[in-house]
Amino acid sequence: MSVESLRTFDKAQSLTFLAGIPYVYHCHHYNLFHDQTVDDALGDEAGLEVRTRSARNAFRSVLEAASKELHATTPVEKVQLARELFPWMGLGNLDISTSAFGGEARGATLHYGFSWREKYGAQVKRTLPADAVASGFAAAVTEVAYGLPSGSAWTVEEECVAAKAAQCRFRIERRPLGGWEEPLPTVIDTAAAIAAAGPPERGVDEDRIAKIGSGLTDFMKGVRGDERGLVQAFSVFVAAQLSSYYNESIFEMITRLEKRSPELAPVAEDLAREAGRVCVFNTFGNVLLSPEWEALVGPLGNDPADIVSFCLAIARGLGFGHWYLHEYEPRKRFVMRASSSYEVPFYVSRYGKADRPRGYFLGGSAHAIAALAEGVRWGERPKLDGELYMKLLGGRNRAHVEQTKCQMRGDEISELVVTLP
Amino acid sequence: MNPSVDEAVRDAPQLVGLFVATMPDCLLYHSWSRSATEWAADEVAGYFGDLIRANREGLRALSAWSADMQVTIESRDALVVLKELTPSFAMGCVFDRNAPLGLVRLHMKRLVDRVTAALPDVAPAERSRGEKIVEFLERYAPDPHAVLLRVSLRTGLALDRLRDASSLSAPEVESVERVACQLLGLAKLAV
Repeated sequence: MSVESLRTFDKAQSLTFLAGIPYVYHCHHYNLFHDQTVDDALGDEAGLEVRTRSARNAFRSVLEAASKELHATTPVEKVQLARELFPWMGLGNLDISTSAFGGEARGATLHYGFSWREKYGAQVKRTLPADAVASGFAAAVTEVAYGLPSGSAWTVEEECVAAKAAQCRFRIERRPLGGWEEPLPTVIDTAAAIAAAGPPERGVDEDRIAKIGSGLTDFMKGVRGDERGLVQAFSVFVAAQLSSYYNESIFEMITRLEKRSPELAPVAEDLAREAGRVCVFNTFGNVLLSPEWEALVGPLGNDPADIVSFCLAIARGLGFGHWYLHEYEPRKRFVMRASSSYEVPFYVSRYGKADRPRGYFLGGSAHAIAALAEGVRWGERPKLDGELYMKLLGGRNRAHVEQTKCQMRGDEISELVVTLP
Repeated sequence: MNPSVDEAVRDAPQLVGLFVATMPDCLLYHSWSRSATEWAADEVAGYFGDLIRANREGLRALSAWSADMQVTIESRDALVVLKELTPSFAMGCVFDRNAPLGLVRLHMKRLVDRVTAALPDVAPAERSRGEKIVEFLERYAPDPHAVLLRVSLRTGLALDRLRDASSLSAPEVESVERVACQLLGLAKLAV
């Protein structure tokens, strides 16, 4: 049995699982923006702590489940499995050497640090490390391999490629348990994810969306890290990332901010939605322009209705959930619904029913899908750069987006209504 | 164009284009090109204005700055000369790549004299430091579409305050400047 065999897919809800733990595909543009938002809201120190803990909790659950499924019982087997899993996910090669008392890890091509340097390195200098995900992973490996209690290992990234080091270097250490201050990890498995989903209804153009989404899912089955442990596809770095990492870090950030500085929470929420816009613009846009897409679907035209359907198919192919088209009136209105979305199960399980809609990623994505459909002439193969982003999504004449139904609030499905300017 | 500048341009057949930008904003004040070109003069003015400013700061750091310095760039297709005319204006001239350098210098001298004489005697409106920092961030920070939101979270200042940066108090400006340094990876801001 290999890491490959850990992957399962719920076709009806378009959710993907690794050893029964939900994961999705995101590109480096989204991943870096997500992490940046957490740090902006909480400050660099607290942001790093929240991200590292979120990664450790998420990877602990997948490593425990994977070890069980693949019958890895000894520490060396579990460390070996971990060293195989991380690059397979496209998160980079991480050379971990650990024990029950601590250890170290190194990696020169980790998804976050490496892609940060690629994207921003020529533009600005960075002094703080970028690989909280690798840090959390290394801590989780130590805990799982040696049967340590959750929260008893921690990792500090001492040098980072993003800060111009030749390689990222990590120190893994034992530390006292966090006691009452440390929230209990929230583990979402297949059953919890499916239980949180609503009825997977058929939307407009359903047959075509389902067919393309399924084709993309099949394509993604062949995606794995290269010799660097990175996935470079569709002109971006793609990573299979555990949904719980995103959810714990973003919702922990928002809820802390709501307590500490409630007046700033709407700003953080807007940035969380912005991450969705960044994702759709970069990942979906580059998928649409890729040769792989042309082979799967055919050449692109300029019909906005096609682009809406294609984007919903891409969302399903990447494991974001069963997103479907409820209504689309070109140049006026776009209504997207979701019977499942990767943000929902975590929030409901950790915080209970929300008092208001909280589908940040879903809302930003719906907005960007409408913008890509309405504002881009795809047949002319546009360049997806900052200028186009500003034109479509950065201006003052933004579309109005309202989440009218939210599964986190107790609605059966989630619904986003985008009114075009 | 001013008749005297027009004459200097006519006498320099190797001159392909000319632009004048306001400093320190790097906004296009005037441009001229011999024939239809593909470049956008306002973009060119912005980039080369930045270059002039960076050059000035670099030379100052080397204690080698003098007011009459000019930047010459020899690319495959063009010869570009950049020159600060006054504290408020800078000029860039694009010459044919085959133009002899000596002749280019001669034309530059004439153009500098004529254009400087034709410029209005203005002093740039003094903007507040807060405004300058916000403008600087919007130009240079990564993800400019999100930069004000980011600054808002990091400073704790409401978005409306940042959008009206001229009204920021001294401690608020200090806070925005500290965050700008964080976002740009700089030890200090030269704005």
